[in-house]
Amino acid sequence: MTFALDDVTVRRGSAQVLDEVSARIPTGSCTGVIGSSGAGKTTLLRLLNRLEEPDKGRILLDGVPLPELDVLALRRRVGLVPQRPVLLADHVADELRIGRHDLPESRVDELLTTVGLPTSFAARPTSELSGGEAQRVCIARALAVEPEVLLLDEPTSALDEVSAVLIADLARAHATGGGTVVLVSHNLDLVRDVADEVLLLEHGRLVTPGQAR
Amino acid sequence: MADVPALGWGGVAASALLVLLVVAVTYQQRLHLTRELAIASVRAAIQLIAVGALLVVLFARTGLPGALAWVVVMILIAGQVAGRRGGGLPRARWAATAGVAAGSAVTLGALVALGVISTQARVIVPIGGMIVSGAMQAAGVTLHRLGEDVRQARPVIEARLCLGLSAREAFLPHQRSVLRVALMPAIDSTKVVGLISLPGAMTGLILAGVDPLTAIRYQIVVMYMLLAAAALAALATARLAERTLFDDAHRLINLSASP
Repeated sequence: MTFALDDVTVRRGSAQVLDEVSARIPTGSCTGVIGSSGAGKTTLLRLLNRLEEPDKGRILLDGVPLPELDVLALRRRVGLVPQRPVLLADHVADELRIGRHDLPESRVDELLTTVGLPTSFAARPTSELSGGEAQRVCIARALAVEPEVLLLDEPTSALDEVSAVLIADLARAHATGGGTVVLVSHNLDLVRDVADEVLLLEHGRLVTPGQAR
Repeated sequence: MADVPALGWGGVAASALLVLLVVAVTYQQRLHLTRELAIASVRAAIQLIAVGALLVVLFARTGLPGALAWVVVMILIAGQVAGRRGGGLPRARWAATAGVAAGSAVTLGALVALGVISTQARVIVPIGGMIVSGAMQAAGVTLHRLGEDVRQARPVIEARLCLGLSAREAFLPHQRSVLRVALMPAIDSTKVVGLISLPGAMTGLILAGVDPLTAIRYQIVVMYMLLAAAALAALATARLAERTLFDDAHRLINLSASP
């Protein structure tokens, strides 16, 4: 799935959150998005699964403008993991089933392993999770829906180094497996390790698109 | 009802002494409520006298169409009052009015259709008033809680939307908790009726000289109809408000700040 952003502008009041951003996010790749706080990185992710709509310009997915696609199907194909982990169920296994009610137990175990958590976590109450564990459960919950595109907003902000490497590997594996990854992060080492391309945003403008690796 | 104790205007005037007593106490205690109390008391008397005069005409002349028109006016007023509770919610007054109308119409319609009450204006107007009032309270609480919930729960709702859930599915847990809260007062007052309070309808009938057993039968009907009106109005208001909270792309709209 390839995204094309075409002169995308988002305004909030008089502020320009994104200013005529044009970019291509190709399939089978990982695109890093970097920039200071308030540069428009999170807004960019929210546009890609239509949690927000551009005021100007358009976004195409494989050549089709996003508003022409069924939005619920789009959100299942384009999984967004928000920066702050928000847990929705009482237990971890139920958490992973929010987007896919029929998720088998074996798949729950697989997903937990993928994000570096022991399978015994399936029965754990979500209220007992640490910030880093919650963040990883949220990633597993997004993966449960089997999205083609993975939008990760600061996925390692609450993680130690070992867990961060694991998430980096996961992102790379998703991209090399034919999926698409967009990774927003302040962690430049992570972006350098994982991203094929980097988009640098400054005050809503795309400054220097270029190769990272 | 030959032995109905007569209450004349002299008695009403005498009861105003109680208001004077309260005014004196609040003045002495410097509660700064004297003016408000005086206005509220006078306003209540004028409102009730005006309504009484209207009802005399209504009962004598217009029959059922007039009574139903009266109920419609009550619904419109109740919708405005309950809608104000949904500060910041889009089209809150519309949702409240439609919710109160739905709850009231179904409840009143069912009572008439089942032959529980007659279609005389003198029955439809007071029963309709109680129903609309119960529906209004439930709709008001529903909108108030919805506004608070949506502001606080935006990240939770959006997390569900991100997983491809529809607006309806993403909002359902919040709608449930809002409805539970909105129905609590009606359920609680049903539970303790007769134990803690002798409710209005029953008190009125007994004061007017009706046999207590007859008054109780009326009160049971009143409690059940108030439960139905509250539940239906809360449900309808929540469903209608939900539609205004999300756009066509299953996105939670931005709410203005809580007033």
